[in-house]
Amino acid sequence: MKKILVISGPNLNLPDTGETSTYKESSLEEIHVRLKKKAAELGMEVDCEQYNSEGDIIDRIQQVPGTYAGVVLNAGALAHYSYSLRDAIGTMRVPCVEVFMSNVHAGEEFRHKSVVAEVCVGTISGFGAHSYVLALEALANLT
Amino acid sequence: MGSRRIAIINGPNLNMLGRREVGIYGEKNLDQICDEIRHEGEKYDISLDFFQSNVEGFIVDYIHSCVGKVRGIVINAGAFTHYSIALRDAISAVRLPVVEVHISNIYKREAFRHVSFIAPVCLGQICGFGSYSYILGLRALMETLDEADREC
Repeated sequence: MKKILVISGPNLNLPDTGETSTYKESSLEEIHVRLKKKAAELGMEVDCEQYNSEGDIIDRIQQVPGTYAGVVLNAGALAHYSYSLRDAIGTMRVPCVEVFMSNVHAGEEFRHKSVVAEVCVGTISGFGAHSYVLALEALANLT
Repeated sequence: MGSRRIAIINGPNLNMLGRREVGIYGEKNLDQICDEIRHEGEKYDISLDFFQSNVEGFIVDYIHSCVGKVRGIVINAGAFTHYSIALRDAISAVRLPVVEVHISNIYKREAFRHVSFIAPVCLGQICGFGSYSYILGLRALMETLDEADREC
């Protein structure tokens, strides 16, 4: 069974601030429940994790090869400046889908640029919790 | 035919799919991709209108004509994405939910493709999944419309 790692970055554990505030429906726990259900439908398994520390995410990304067939990553603010995260993703050779709940292009200018996008298969942004679900479907569709 | 109409818009050079830089865009032609979208559309109570043009003004006209007729739009604006302020204004003017899609991962390509002029006025963006980007785009749009309908 295809195993997928879902990682959410800094501040995404907070229910009412940052990105999640745009989407009243879902706390991260609720999103994780939804993802586990969707994964089962797709015949996949997911582990869902959240870290506020850049280094913790890099550690997890480095452990991906051999264990996971793909990664769904909402790097939060790290997406816009973490070259070390970019390097970790670029090195692992496992498909990674970048997601954002908000439309990053509609917000502050520093959020328009993602330094990890280039090393990901693709990007999905703007659809709230559904961005994660679509990313899972995208990974399921990859051969 | 379904009760909700959705427009699928394709911009310049997408009529050349299957013949144009297949390493980037894949081997499927636009008709095949439209068939895949139609097939996905059967899961929903919708009807689909397909439009492709190489002419910026025709796409602007078409977006204007969507008002009162369609519930939402999935658009692959092709290269217009990266410079057409007129297209951005058209999307902003019609106040319809629009999902931006791209076949390729635009962030892996030339720097001029990293900027989307239409992204700020769209619901969201999906890129990099080949023709499956359209399928995900349609699903994203339907999820948004279903949510809006539930709240009504």
